Amino acid sequence: MGPDTHIRVLPDVVANQIAAGEVVERPASVLKELIENAVDAGATRIEVEVAAGGRKLVAVRDNGGGMDRDDALLCVERHATSKIRDVRDIEAVRTLGFRGEALAAIAAVSRFRLVTATRDGAGTELEISGGRMEAVRETGAPRGTSVEVRDLFFNVPARRKFLRSHQTEVFHLRAAFILQALAHPGTAMALKNDGRAIYALGPADDVMVRVREIFGADYAAHLRPARHGAAGVAVRGCVGVPSFSRADRGEQYLFVNGRPTGAPLIGHAIREGYRTLLPGDRHPCVFLFVETDPGQVDINVHPAKKEVRFRQPGEVRDAVIAAIAAALGSPAAAAGRAPAPAPAPPAADAGPRLQIVDLPYGRAFQYPRRPIRDLAATDAAVPGPFEETGIESAGTGPAAAPSPSSPDAGRTSPSPASISPPSPWSWCRVLGQVGGLYVVLETEDGYVLMDPHAGHERVLFERFMADIDGEAVPSQSLLLPQTVALPPRDAQRVRGCLDLLRRMGFGVSEFGGDTFVVDAMPAYFSGADAAPILGELAAAAEEGGRSAGEGRGREEAVARAACRAAVRSRDRLTLEEIERLVVELAQAAMPYTCPHGRPTLVFTSFRELSRRFGRG
Amino acid sequence: MKFKIAKNVLFAALQRVQNVVAARTTLPILSNVLLNAEKGRISLCTTDLEVSVKCSAEASVQKQGATTLPARRLASIVRELPDKPIAIEVDDKNIATLECNSSYFKIIGMSEDEFPPMSMPEGQYTYALDQGRLKDMLGKTVYAASTDETRHVLNGALLNFKGNKLSVVATDGRRLALVEHEMEVPREAETEVVLPTKALAELMHTLSEQGTVKVRSDGNKIAFEFDDVIVTSKVIEGTYPNYRQVIPGPAEQRVTVERETLLAALKRVSLVTTDKANAARLTFTNNSIVVSTTSPDVGEARETVPVKYTGKDITVAFNPEYVMDPLRTLTCDEIYIEITDDLSPGVIKCETPFLYVLMPMRVT
Repeated sequence: MGPDTHIRVLPDVVANQIAAGEVVERPASVLKELIENAVDAGATRIEVEVAAGGRKLVAVRDNGGGMDRDDALLCVERHATSKIRDVRDIEAVRTLGFRGEALAAIAAVSRFRLVTATRDGAGTELEISGGRMEAVRETGAPRGTSVEVRDLFFNVPARRKFLRSHQTEVFHLRAAFILQALAHPGTAMALKNDGRAIYALGPADDVMVRVREIFGADYAAHLRPARHGAAGVAVRGCVGVPSFSRADRGEQYLFVNGRPTGAPLIGHAIREGYRTLLPGDRHPCVFLFVETDPGQVDINVHPAKKEVRFRQPGEVRDAVIAAIAAALGSPAAAAGRAPAPAPAPPAADAGPRLQIVDLPYGRAFQYPRRPIRDLAATDAAVPGPFEETGIESAGTGPAAAPSPSSPDAGRTSPSPASISPPSPWSWCRVLGQVGGLYVVLETEDGYVLMDPHAGHERVLFERFMADIDGEAVPSQSLLLPQTVALPPRDAQRVRGCLDLLRRMGFGVSEFGGDTFVVDAMPAYFSGADAAPILGELAAAAEEGGRSAGEGRGREEAVARAACRAAVRSRDRLTLEEIERLVVELAQAAMPYTCPHGRPTLVFTSFRELSRRFGRG
Repeated sequence: MKFKIAKNVLFAALQRVQNVVAARTTLPILSNVLLNAEKGRISLCTTDLEVSVKCSAEASVQKQGATTLPARRLASIVRELPDKPIAIEVDDKNIATLECNSSYFKIIGMSEDEFPPMSMPEGQYTYALDQGRLKDMLGKTVYAASTDETRHVLNGALLNFKGNKLSVVATDGRRLALVEHEMEVPREAETEVVLPTKALAELMHTLSEQGTVKVRSDGNKIAFEFDDVIVTSKVIEGTYPNYRQVIPGPAEQRVTVERETLLAALKRVSLVTTDKANAARLTFTNNSIVVSTTSPDVGEARETVPVKYTGKDITVAFNPEYVMDPLRTLTCDEIYIEITDDLSPGVIKCETPFLYVLMPMRVT
């Protein structure tokens, strides 16, 4: 006979191990389940301890209701739960967990110890190893439950192999902890990693307080409280001002009825709330709590409850949009931004004007509200200095610099319709500025609108990349090294590319925790503040690493981000600087778009103008 | 309001105040000058809400009163008028008629009620300084202030009245300029304020070489009174970095250099740098400093400046602009450069209490 092929019911241990595959992906998922249980037990204080990236130990101790001996024994059985009794209860679950799978699954793949007591003194202790009950005994214990999960996946080598490096697992554990800490600001929570205290968060009545504790005061200063309630949907929390945007959605925290989750619907609503405030590739930081009747939410969609569905999507969407609009539109939204470059307008026009201040850099309104130079005073002088500053270097002479590069530039230009000239210009002059941002240039066969920020980014980017290729990036040391505290995600990314950053002229080193010291900057960005650049770089390095896979791609991504950050901080340029920019842009290899692909120049030919005026 | 005033007197007063007036502003009243006629004097006041300048001048006032008139336009008109007395009369609709010799102008003004009032600091203590001294101190530091608007607190100069001296400090995080002047500062009157760049420029424009300037501050505002002028400014809020921490200890090498020779050499070599961020190498070697620049697209330049130097060879790179800035504003014949190695900060000093710290560039 061959191997036994009869169908049989699997023993519980095996079934639990299979279930563990869904629930327990890595130490961070254990942590999530244990904290949720503690919260459901009514804990006001939760202490978490992890060791060796969670492989050795994930322990959660709470001061919640605890369990008696019978419940303790039951709770590690599969589909044993105190949270629902029959299928109708699922409709109205208010607790975080309800399926009753978690503890059984975790106990099946670890050395598991649970101590619980319903009041101080007499408690129960369970020890389970790989799903087999090893010991049950009476023990002295304070009220609450304490769970220790040791040697995770010790009996599932296949899973163990999929665990990532120590650092990565710690990162995931921290992320899981932060998520839970944000979800339950009223609960005091502490995290210890390898014996070192990382967070000790006191109970807070507002999520802002908790955000400040976790991400720091600098970070929290960019957030505005959001609150909106209507039609059975309440939204509260805080949202970031548009100028404090991110390159990805990593800092969008959503909670539905206290449960950290995602919902495509809310993502769209956030997008919509910021639609006119942020370019498509930027994402706001948000911490939003959506409260609605549990009956209106279907959380049983995803085994790890990572996604929910709403019965009344329209209402939820409107409430989120309204909350964001209220948060950003209120006068408080504008008041907090640190540098107000222009003199504060008087109280009478404060309302609408202040909103503009919160628009991100690089978009229209931040550019000088004052003219580049008093045009009335210098009108006559404009052509003069221009000839001197050497437009001839841009190509009045026969062998002009831009001509050789132009065929190539024309080919790669994304929208040839709007950018038709084969070379930028052989001569031009600055006529003025429109819309508080765009520079108007006249050339030999038409007029050009230039976005000076985009143009500057391009010039800076090409110069910077040339120096990186030549391996000679001049780096300017700082008098006072700046310490920059980053959110955990960004910190992790910066840590991963320290070598790259050093090669590119950033003097960055670790300072412990999520703080870095910057003691030198590439000379091109020497005027700029290190802190915003560093955050920008982190996201860029990550993205570059993923898309390109080799050094050049990463360098380009970092250079792009650095240029953007550096240019953003310039919101006043003199006419001479504009003129120099025009010359330099004309000499760039690819003058028509900024490194991020936005156009720098929009050309309209005189022929086109004549056509529009009906002159043939 | 009605008064008569000599053309030169009015023009000089307008020149003193019109710098503050923004070319284009969100508030139309801010492009006007507030005119106030009192007994035997008129006062002129302009503001951009951050900095205000008030100047008074003698006039024969027939009828007291106040109005505001477009500052730049008024100054342009007055400049072109003949050198004769000017008679100005303003009706209750704030329309001014201006007569001088055979010229006649009618200028539409705005009510003085809308003009933001100039508020003086309430500080108890007044420091008295020589005007020329203050002007000199500001001139020797202001160029080092940051222009990056994200670094708000560095967009100006620190005035630190402490320890029986006034220290003026400006830095942009890459270099720092410090001038000190000994004066009496009672313990209870010790204070420090960060004065915005715009106010610094205004002071440099209006301070004269002689006479005394009185300084008063209450921590939010600061006022400078001198001659017939009052300049008030908001101060920049925030904590100025601890500049003492930046000043390096004794350096290994100290070199005396002729200021103008070094400046001229730097000016010449920086002509081959493509961008102002490019580095100039200073090599301290046997009895000379060799200043050189290299730029892959342009070429290279080298200058040798003779000095007395017998120490070890040291090469250090600086942003040439950063070295030239203090050399331009100092007036002494010789300066001292202190260096230790290619990574430590360089220091420039001179006979007077001046100190300039600059960070080297690392050229990889």
